[in-house]
Amino acid sequence: MYNDAFEEDDLVAEVELVAQARYSRNADLEDGFNDEVVVSQQPATVQIPDGVRNFILFFYRNVLENNVYELHNVYDTSFNKLTDKYYTKQSWPEAEIIARLVNNDEVFLTLYRELYYRHIYGRLTPTLEHRFRSYENYCDLFNYILNSEGPVNLELPNQWLWDIIDEFIYQFQSFSNYRDRLKSKSEEEIALLRDNPQIWSTYSVLNVLYSFIQKSRINEQLLVSKKGGDMMEAAGEYGARPLYKNLGYFSIIGLLRVNCLMGDFVLALKMMDNVVLNKKALFARVTACHVTAYYYVGFAYMMMRRYADAIKAFSNVLSFLQRTKPYHSRSYQSEQLARKSDQMYALLAMCIALCPTRLDENIHSQLREKFGEHISKMQKGEEGIPIFEELFQYACPKFISASGRLDGTPRADPYTIYMKTFVTDIRNQIKLPTLRSFMKLYTTMGVDKLAKFLEMDPEELKMQLLVFKQKSRQIKWVSGDLLDGEYLPTSDLDFCLKQDVVHIAESKVGRRYADWFLRNINRCEDIVASLEQRA
Amino acid sequence: MAASVERPQTIQTMIDGVERYNPENAEVLEEYLAGQCKNGEYDLMANLALLKLYQFNPQLSKIPVIINVLAKSLTAIPKPDYNLCMYLLTDYVDVDEVKRLTHLQQLLEQSRYAEFWNAFEKDKDLVKDIAGFEDAIRQVIALVVSMSFQTIAASVLESYFALKGDAFKQFCEKQQWQLNGTTVSIPINKDNEAKTVVVRESIKFEQLTKVIGYSNEM
Repeated sequence: MYNDAFEEDDLVAEVELVAQARYSRNADLEDGFNDEVVVSQQPATVQIPDGVRNFILFFYRNVLENNVYELHNVYDTSFNKLTDKYYTKQSWPEAEIIARLVNNDEVFLTLYRELYYRHIYGRLTPTLEHRFRSYENYCDLFNYILNSEGPVNLELPNQWLWDIIDEFIYQFQSFSNYRDRLKSKSEEEIALLRDNPQIWSTYSVLNVLYSFIQKSRINEQLLVSKKGGDMMEAAGEYGARPLYKNLGYFSIIGLLRVNCLMGDFVLALKMMDNVVLNKKALFARVTACHVTAYYYVGFAYMMMRRYADAIKAFSNVLSFLQRTKPYHSRSYQSEQLARKSDQMYALLAMCIALCPTRLDENIHSQLREKFGEHISKMQKGEEGIPIFEELFQYACPKFISASGRLDGTPRADPYTIYMKTFVTDIRNQIKLPTLRSFMKLYTTMGVDKLAKFLEMDPEELKMQLLVFKQKSRQIKWVSGDLLDGEYLPTSDLDFCLKQDVVHIAESKVGRRYADWFLRNINRCEDIVASLEQRA
Repeated sequence: MAASVERPQTIQTMIDGVERYNPENAEVLEEYLAGQCKNGEYDLMANLALLKLYQFNPQLSKIPVIINVLAKSLTAIPKPDYNLCMYLLTDYVDVDEVKRLTHLQQLLEQSRYAEFWNAFEKDKDLVKDIAGFEDAIRQVIALVVSMSFQTIAASVLESYFALKGDAFKQFCEKQQWQLNGTTVSIPINKDNEAKTVVVRESIKFEQLTKVIGYSNEM
């Protein structure tokens, strides 16, 4: 799964990766729109500011020409700058209004509508009608891409493709939560929902994602690539085109997310069967996708009690984010990324409290800064439970229920159930950190004596010891797919019971002098060599 | 995840890919589960697929089937299978049988084995479809015991397994534990050995070649 050994050179590669994704050298592009003044304006239409009108014309031209480079600028920078300038409190003009400007080009209008509804969801509050219309728009778009005769001649930037999938799932999530809050709805709205069960239904969402995967044959491509072959051989007619390949790939990550939202963590990880989680994977090119993938993988591991693997996943992506931080702060997504990053720190804090492991220095110091107090409280027994609840609530995804229930019968919120199950699990192990701290001090001790120190009944203590034994071993990933793993010890403390005496053994990691010296010797030599070259 | 049974190809196709969502497969998976119950086999992935179909099509769900799936997953402890099943069963948390099974699961997770057998007396009806349930649970407990103890009082073990006299002796023999009067000794395995280990770093020669190369240049 993780094929990286961190080396300093990789930092350069990572920075390039992130910087490339934002290849706008010309950040002042959109200002040019305001300079061109078009004199004639139809009196009967809504006033569209000139900047916006020119932007739309420019945008349309680039879609027609499949100019992915320019489209990326348009999408990433210009659209957001114009939104901030003109449309912070109201929606962009409806598609019908700008239709004349673009010769009523249906494909372009569908793409435009995607941005239009996304803006509404993002900055304003969508009404039921907006939700329905947006769903229909997505259906039109996906129909066009999937069911036209032969692959369509359209190219869009990767960032946009990921955002389409991401937003599609987000709107599905939003709709499911909305649908389940029946109390605040009018009879009319409930009737509308009941009459249209197929709109934003789980099956149709899954259908879209699976169709992309099948059409692009992305799983076959990834399998071939994993074995070292050429992806194009397995690609087929559709999969050879970047549009389909990327949509297929992002759909895999999309399915990872949807399955986690519905509580099927095992299937979620199974989706990632052919995706190798390292820096060179396709998802690394779009930062948001990269972060999403690791977040859900880590969360799924955590819910499967594979804390060691969860810690590894979170550390990996958090180091990446930290190293490339200066390059993110310029993107409009930086707020979302920061939030996801904080959530992952919270999850990491919980996992560390449950399965103490050595962490990379940078991550460790960030973690201590944000959640140091929480971690120490979580390890203090019963009083740590509310902290676990608080962090879980902050960091968990917004779960949804797979099937709607419109008949008004009371229904448990999936989030409450998951939280309860998670906390019950935690409660079974809550006394272990205290037990562990006592056991670290001795090599042998009678059960009765230890019980007295811990103020527990000896029988109770014996059970805690058995629980400790069980919890100190987890399924840990060694090789193969994400779901594989071996039952391995994960704690540095081990013990055995002989009658009523506990024998304790601690495993220590020797200090790694050699590795540190080797790395620094090499670095020093490189610096000296480059100095000599310049001389 | 590997199954502890040879999964037939038909079932494998059913749970791979889009077929997993086809509600018509529910019956086949239910039959497969019934087979698992009768033969003492266990297949987590197939059972989770069945629960997922119930999640999407609540009208298909059958409480007895759900109870069987949950009871089967108890035999997989210390793996988290029971929780994984519960995550797909959010609508059934308050069903009486589910609550009773969850209580049993908690007792097992907390290693309260004597209490477990007491509580189990009243709940035997929950597992009536599952052949060899008690033996499977005893295996679970035996696993934990053999990981943690080198010697243990026989009376304590008897309470852990709810076995006495001859039945107990036979069980110990099957586990290859030695019964010496009032204590039972468990052979040393890698888990109950409590040895101090110092993880030393091992440097391969190749890593040194670059450094040796530098010293050559001087």
